[in-house]
Amino acid sequence: MAQVNSFLNGNGDDPRALVVVFLRGGADGLNMVAPLEDPGYYKARPRIAIKRADAVPLNGFFGLNPLLADLERPWKDGALAIVHAAGSEDTTRSHFEAQDLMEHGGIVAGGWLGRFLRFRNAPAIGPLSAIALSRSVPECLRGAPAATVLESLDQFSLGKNRSALARELGRLYGLETGPIAVHARDTLEAMQRIEKLSSVPYQAAHGAEYDRDEFARGLQQVARLIKARVGLQAASVDLNGWDSHLNQSALMDPLQKRLARALTAFYQDMGRLMETTTVVVMTEFGRRVAENSAFGTDHGRGSVMFVLGGGVKGGRVLGQWPGLSDDVLEGPGDLPVTTNYRNVLAPILARHGATDRLHQVFPDFELAPLGLYS
Amino acid sequence: MNVSRRQFLTTGGTAAAVVAATGCKRVPAQLESLLGAEPGAFQPPTADAIDPVAHVLNRLSFGPRPGDYAKVRALAKDSRLAAELWIEEQLNPERIEDSACTKAMRRFDSLDQPLGEFYEYKEQVLIREMVRSTVLRAISTERQLFEMMVHFWTDHFNIDPSKGDCQWLKAWDDREVIRRHALGGTPKDEMKLVQKIWYGVMGGPEKPAPREVKFPDLLRASALSPAMLWYLDGRQNRKENATDKPNENYARELLELHTLGVHGGYTQKDVMEVARCLTGWTVRGRNKMFKGQVEFKKHLHDDGAKEVLGHHIPAGLGAKDLDRVLEIVSLHPSTAKYLAGKLCRWFISDAPSAPTVSSVAEEFLKTGGDIRATLRAVFRSDEFWSARGVKFKRPFHFVVSAVRATEAKTDARGPLIDYLERMGHLPFHYPTPDGYPQEPEPWMGTLLWRWNFALALHEGRLDGTRVNEQQLVERAGGVEGFMAHLLGRKPTPAEVESYRNSGAGLALMLAAPAFQRC
Repeated sequence: MAQVNSFLNGNGDDPRALVVVFLRGGADGLNMVAPLEDPGYYKARPRIAIKRADAVPLNGFFGLNPLLADLERPWKDGALAIVHAAGSEDTTRSHFEAQDLMEHGGIVAGGWLGRFLRFRNAPAIGPLSAIALSRSVPECLRGAPAATVLESLDQFSLGKNRSALARELGRLYGLETGPIAVHARDTLEAMQRIEKLSSVPYQAAHGAEYDRDEFARGLQQVARLIKARVGLQAASVDLNGWDSHLNQSALMDPLQKRLARALTAFYQDMGRLMETTTVVVMTEFGRRVAENSAFGTDHGRGSVMFVLGGGVKGGRVLGQWPGLSDDVLEGPGDLPVTTNYRNVLAPILARHGATDRLHQVFPDFELAPLGLYS
Repeated sequence: MNVSRRQFLTTGGTAAAVVAATGCKRVPAQLESLLGAEPGAFQPPTADAIDPVAHVLNRLSFGPRPGDYAKVRALAKDSRLAAELWIEEQLNPERIEDSACTKAMRRFDSLDQPLGEFYEYKEQVLIREMVRSTVLRAISTERQLFEMMVHFWTDHFNIDPSKGDCQWLKAWDDREVIRRHALGGTPKDEMKLVQKIWYGVMGGPEKPAPREVKFPDLLRASALSPAMLWYLDGRQNRKENATDKPNENYARELLELHTLGVHGGYTQKDVMEVARCLTGWTVRGRNKMFKGQVEFKKHLHDDGAKEVLGHHIPAGLGAKDLDRVLEIVSLHPSTAKYLAGKLCRWFISDAPSAPTVSSVAEEFLKTGGDIRATLRAVFRSDEFWSARGVKFKRPFHFVVSAVRATEAKTDARGPLIDYLERMGHLPFHYPTPDGYPQEPEPWMGTLLWRWNFALALHEGRLDGTRVNEQQLVERAGGVEGFMAHLLGRKPTPAEVESYRNSGAGLALMLAAPAFQRC
């Protein structure tokens, strides 16, 4: 009989979990991690730039938007790395095309996270190996072996008052031998664990506090699942609404706050489990460097990515900063992409068990993985 | 009737005559409904173990509907002979009346367009329609073995419509490549010729025997499918300048997945040479006239001499290089072995014996890749008849068999599709060219969703899908009869007890281990 804290068959005794946060709508990296010492920044954004005095200083050049101040803690712990001028090769500046391309990992079929799960070494698959906290399977998880879409953990159940059914299923599957018996036992066990979890209010550890918004609750459920050791290998959680064409601050401020607070709560709650859990935050593209007349910014190219936990050597802003002078900007005046998002994901996926399969996860692309861990 | 069982599957011709004699007694289900007949009582299996009839209905179809077992069982006194007669009938889909399914398909006129018209549809529309029609076809068609083969080839020649123009072109591929060649039949161009002659244009009423569609025809159709040229980058495989390197993507998968198999004895050099042979074949872009048409561009073709799998291909053959390559690979002994192994794993068990696979491979070679003949070889093996109830249904098979077994009325929308998506087995959603896995392990994580699906069906929570359990139990002559219908055999005492104690009998049976197998 399985011990309460043992891992279910899903991923054996491998506790590594990858959490992908996608900021849909094109998040403005320059407003999240501002290049305070680049003169081009203030020149291009006379009205909406982050003031030097307000910013949370990072490394003498970049500063965090004060609304992301909560992230200072993991940054100082060395558990948060930032990659600037990151993005994809897509130049259409179309949400649909850019998200599609990024989630598929190029003009290839299926999603990169799905391919990772399918091709990673020892791809043991359990009922909760891959989950998406959403209404439908996100494109990045396409092709995953049995991705589970949940809006909440309660859905992982046969419903209330169905204990007799679960008991009889346990009995019939108990008469079986081989993999089907093992998987049925694991599934029933996972169900029981989740039912037990759901029956008591969740107590976050280490004084962490999650807000009540959908994104925070999503991360809280992910934390819960990882702690319950149900075999979670990958989770996808979206935070939508970053398309800040007008009145940027009204739109982005609450989102940034939500993002930072939820990530920090998750980080705090997970404690030492963060060593084997990686959170990566990405968006389809950044925004135009220059502000527009409506206090907003239009679709651009490079943005930021965040990598939290999982042994990342944090407290650093990685990637090559191209500068914001006119001769550097791309097309209508956009931050060029100097680090392809695949080169951020590749070292993470390698660490999560796909070392020799990266060419299958990202076909047709010559990888130059970023040094996240050294 | 003087046909011995042994002779039967060996001599398809005689068998067809037998079918003609026995098949006429059957009243098709759709005819019953046309006549307004109430769904009546039906006789479920009565044996302790799965008998040959229940076996073939489980394995060669997406599961028996109420009454299917009794109808097939009545074909002959001997259960095995009855099963064989039904198989032979299924091997001739063009002779099976299928008006209910045809009627159900009428709403999908979007899939019935000429190639260029597909581009008029917005993204996702065609994929949605293909998914729905595929689910409804599997549920409603009388040509069950044909439909099985469609799924087999769809995986074998997998194309994910989410790549580029495949979102439009896969609909054409599904119709003109996969369905047209899935289980023999008449080649399209020759069908026209047959009609022409038949209608007396040539003056003669003599109807010539049409040629049988075989695997090489299917392979050629796939090689020249615009969707395949998109999906595996064949359209970009060109040699315009001396420095151009051919794109090997399709060439590799052609050898590795479509024909010889990964251990089929080809080398990297062969892959490169095949790629060279196929340079210049491309698809007209969506902004051009005749968009989606496949064309050969001579100036993009590498017209030098090549060497493929030990065969010399002289310089200057141009477009004919493709014919040479397909000739070499389509009936290669490795192809025969690889396809035979796949078919045996699909229809017999996860680990068929080497002698069985060899005998199927021999038949494939002997008949020039005749799909029906090859299947007959599978179905006449002793192993096929002994491996009953041992295959783990894939989620699609599970869902469709539950709907068929319960005669659920469904529009194949919403929740039904959601469950397939959750279980990772939505048709046309597999990303890589190897197709959805055949083996059971990758699907083991889906048990909870199978159980939830069974419960939702039982509780009537699947919008658009309805079951009348009470009526089914009555028609089957009681609970144990109904269970026998679902299991293909009499239930065990443990199963009966669990049924009664579960508080959700139908859900329990559909969720039980026995119903996960076929």
